[in-house]
Order: sequence, then structure tokens, then C-alpha cells
Amino acid sequence: MTTSDDRPTMIEFKDVHKYYGDYHALRGINGTIKAGEFFSLLGPSGCGKTTLLRTIAGFEDISSGVIMIDGKDMATVAANARPTNMVFQSYAIFPHMTVAENVGFGLRKDPRSKEEKAKAVAEALEMVGLKGYGNRAAHALSGGQRQRVALARALILKPKVLLLDEPLSALDKKMREHMQVELIKLQRQVGITFILVTHDQEEALVMSDRIAVMFEGEIAQLDDPETLYRRPANKKVANFIGTMNFIPAEILSETGDKVEIEAKGLGRVALDIAQAPVPTGEAPVVGLRPETLTLLYDDQKAAERETEGLIDEVIYLGDMTYYDVYLGGTDVEVRLSMRNVPGRPVLDVGAKVRVAWSPSALVLFR
Amino acid sequence: MKKAPFLRSYTLFYLLFLYAPILLLPIFAFNSGKVVAFPLQGFTLGWFSEMLADENLRIAAKNSLIIALSVASMSTVLGVFAARASVRYSFPGKAPIMGLIMLPLVLPEMIVAMALLVVLLSLNVPLSLFTVIIGQVLITTPFAVAILTSAFQSLDKSLEEAAMDLGETAWGTFRLIVLPLVMPGIMASFLICFTISFDEFIISNFLGSGQPILSVYIFGQFRFPAKVPSMLALGTVLVCFSIILLGFAEYMRRRGIAKAGGKDSGGFL
Repeated sequence: MTTSDDRPTMIEFKDVHKYYGDYHALRGINGTIKAGEFFSLLGPSGCGKTTLLRTIAGFEDISSGVIMIDGKDMATVAANARPTNMVFQSYAIFPHMTVAENVGFGLRKDPRSKEEKAKAVAEALEMVGLKGYGNRAAHALSGGQRQRVALARALILKPKVLLLDEPLSALDKKMREHMQVELIKLQRQVGITFILVTHDQEEALVMSDRIAVMFEGEIAQLDDPETLYRRPANKKVANFIGTMNFIPAEILSETGDKVEIEAKGLGRVALDIAQAPVPTGEAPVVGLRPETLTLLYDDQKAAERETEGLIDEVIYLGDMTYYDVYLGGTDVEVRLSMRNVPGRPVLDVGAKVRVAWSPSALVLFR
Repeated sequence: MKKAPFLRSYTLFYLLFLYAPILLLPIFAFNSGKVVAFPLQGFTLGWFSEMLADENLRIAAKNSLIIALSVASMSTVLGVFAARASVRYSFPGKAPIMGLIMLPLVLPEMIVAMALLVVLLSLNVPLSLFTVIIGQVLITTPFAVAILTSAFQSLDKSLEEAAMDLGETAWGTFRLIVLPLVMPGIMASFLICFTISFDEFIISNFLGSGQPILSVYIFGQFRFPAKVPSMLALGTVLVCFSIILLGFAEYMRRRGIAKAGGKDSGGFL
């Protein structure tokens, strides 16, 4: 992962609002996307992520606010004059043209000679792994091939920003995972800013330098994948990305950079202030990821803290086992995940266990 | 599936009722008897040569062709505009406007013809082929709109956005992407409007001011029993003409679908 901080700004949103009639689709979007960054807009359907992407492309006007691309206000710049190109969810391959005609479509107004353009098309096709496909009819391609054509068609114009609208959602799982890696490689190779819209949190984590998580027309958190996963800004983000256990807690004291809490089933814990995001006024809970909890076998000792537990449910997945465990004799149930390794048998429902955990893995939502 | 003998014979009878009379046209067109009745007399091509020698018939056919080509072109162009607007844009009063455009589909043609005649006469517009064309366009445009609306509806909006995104202007996008992809619909609209116009009778009769127009002319000739066999010969020619036209339309439709990579879902043939 590269650091995004030292790169120049490519896109800047300043208080962007979008209304469809009475419907408030974008509610004050602020933020910057850096040059050369692989940036994802992540959120459930209807959160405004596609609308935001389309406002960058120029397919949607914004009701108020400013969108700057490479230092220029886009308010009066039409879609066909913006330094952006898009890969559509349906790929939008022109069905009545060949692959080469599709890829070369954007070069129609290019002053270069026919031969030079043909060469550019061939290079673009080679870049996406479709060398020699130029004369094929576009409608005879498979889903993965269509996507490559769409990529080549967009990249041939050397845009400053490539916009990807859920480009992998139409592919099967194997192909999707394959294309994720290819897209990352391609992005490194061309160095263009990629903006990906997706509802798949795993996809966003795998591919992005930074992710904006969106809910109901607002950016809930904008961070790199690791920060998003380890330090979600609120319960909603924590719930949307991965699995998070929530344990009711009580705040005992807050002094400077420390917060002391009493968490049900875990006991007294002193947290660093960095583990407590900005308060939202909700009842305090602590969040704990399943993989930060460990079942202890008889010969093992906890590195930091441990708590009694009672196994309520066992979900065996082959390489992993999920256990749902009641903590410390309370009715608080948490899910923990254990790697299945030799010498560590899968435990049964009803077994009394010890659960190891680390205070630094906790996040306090309040 | 359970067999239903009644339904089967009903279907056969229905198809016979529909098409058998048309089969009588070529039979009597090649029959040498002067009276259209069985038993058949002998084989002749005389009725066809009599038909070709008929000066008025040639004028009527020419007029009908002029009218049908003009009507098909005009209503298809109007249909493209209306269908595009109704599929892609929303504007105030869209529903009533589209409703009024489609209304002639269910309006008795007689009423349209009479109303137009009254208006044209009171405006002192001389009746001519032009007035027939105007009247027929009113009738055929709803068909064009209906056919073209489905053609535009099956067009993925992101194809147009992709073209714009790749730097094309709105007009370039329409010319390079939209038009080629709705071309099968445009052909279908043109051919159907052409056919409707070609055998249209009421408006041709009301607004034609006695100009020879094929449908009106044929009807007139049936008053003279001696003319009937050559009219049947003409009918035979028209049937063949229709089949060729329909075959061509279907060929274009299938080619359009194959070109666009779509799945064939029915058609005329």
C-alpha cells in the first residue's frame, strides 16, 4: 500500500449536494481524491455512491457545491469534455461494432493518422490481454472479455481519472477475484487515478488505497482499508465492513488520553483515546473483531487478558471455525474465529472455555 | 398435452377462412373465363396484359406509390422524434400528449376523414395527393410511434453515455450509436406504414378529389364485371409484392438482431 498523503490532489469535493426532486441523494460531500490513487466508493445500494461517480463523469448535474478535477471547476464542463472515462456496469460495449472499433471509438476526433490510431488500439488491447481480438464482433465476447474491451476503450484516451461503476458485479466469483488482481496491476502500470464504486466491502478492502464508506448520501468515513477495518468511525461502518461484535459498556472515567470502561463480560479496561472515535450520542458499546478473540487450550496462557466463556454454537468452515461464545457468565454473546490447525481439535457446543483478548483491539462507540 | 379435436379443427377452419379467399385471386387471374366462377375454363396470361395496358391503372399505381412512400417517410421521421422523446425524456403533459398522438389508432377513420375534409374545404385548400398524404400520416404515425418506442426502449442508456464519455457530441452519439441500433425498428416502421398507406381507402377516397389512387380505383372497377378478372390479376401482383416486402422486412429485422447480438424473440415469419 502506498501512502496517499504526499500526492497532489486530483479530485476535490466541496459541500456537494444533489436533489432528485424532493429526494436528497447527496448530502454535503467533502473530500479529496489524490492523483494516482486507487479510490473506492463503498456502500449499500441507494447510498449515493453511483450518483457521486456520475457527477464526476458529468452525467449528473449537482444541485450545489463544487467538484474540481485537476484544479478546474467542472460546473460548466460537459461529460464529453472532462478528463475522465468510465467503465460502465453493463460495460456498454457498442454491439454493432468490432472490438477494434469499440476501443478506437474515442479516437475519432484524434488528429493522428489511421495507422497510428490502429497501433494505439492494438496496444490498448494488448495491455488488457486481448491481443489479436480486434476483428471480433463485440457481441460475441464473454463477460470478462467485454470488461477488458471496456477498460481498453476507456484507457486509450489516457484520462486523468478512470471511473469504474461496479465493474466486477456481473462476473462469477473466480473471474471476479482474478479481475481484482488484474485491475490493481493495471492501475499500477498506467498510474491513472482509479475510482471504483462497489457494494462489496471485501472487494474495496482488497483493491483500494483509500475507501470512502457512504450511507444515505453522506461519507461516513474516508480512510485507508486498514484504518477502516481496525478503527471504524461508528457502529454503522463497523457493521458494514467485516464482522464486529458489540458488547455493552459503561464509561467509568475519561482523563486526558485515557478512557476507562467497564464492558459486560470483559471487566474493567483502560482504552487509549485513539480507540474512541468521535461520540455520536449513542449508548456506549465496545466493538471487537472475531479474529482478535482467541480460544485458549489447556496448555495456553493469555498474552494480555482472558475471560471465561461458554460455547453456544460451532460453525465449521474447513480452514476456519466460528464459535459463538457467552462471555464471563453473562448473556453477552460474541463470535470468534479460529484457524483449524493440527493438535487443536474443534470444540463442542456447551464446552467451558477461556477466551483471550487484547484491550488494544477494542473500539469504543458512544 | 391433451388433445382437443374441437380446438384443432376450429383453428384449421379459422386459417382456411382467413387465407382461402386470397388463394382465389391467382386462380381466377389465370383463368380464361370472363366470369369469375367455377368451373375453370383454361389458362391465360391475358388478364395481366390487359392490366398492364390500362393507362388509368398505371397512373393510380404511380400515385399510390408516391403517397405510400411519402407517408411512410413522414410518419417514420415523426415517429422517431415522438418515440425518442417519450422513452428518454420526461416533460410536463407527456401522458396526454402521447395519448393524443396515439388516439387516431382507435378513432374511426371515417370521422378523421370527414373532419379533415370539412377543415380543408373551409380553408380553401384544393384536394390533391398532398391532402391524402397529410390525412394518412395522421393515421399511420401511431403505428410508427408504437414500433419505434419498443425499439428505443430496448436501447441501453449507458451506450449513449459511453459515447458521450468518449468525447462524442450529442448529435454524433445519435448518428453513430442510436440510429444504427434502432435501424431495424425504423425499417419495420417504414414498411408497415407503407403497407397501411398503400391499401388505405377512406381517406384516399375523401381527400383525393377523384385522383386515381389504387385502392379507390380497384373498388371502382368492380362495378364493371368485364374488368373484374384483370383486377384479380392486379390483386395477385399485389399479394406477391406484399410477400416480398414482408420477407425483406423480416430479413432486415433478423440481420439487425444478429448484428446487435440480441436474441430473436418472435417476429412476423
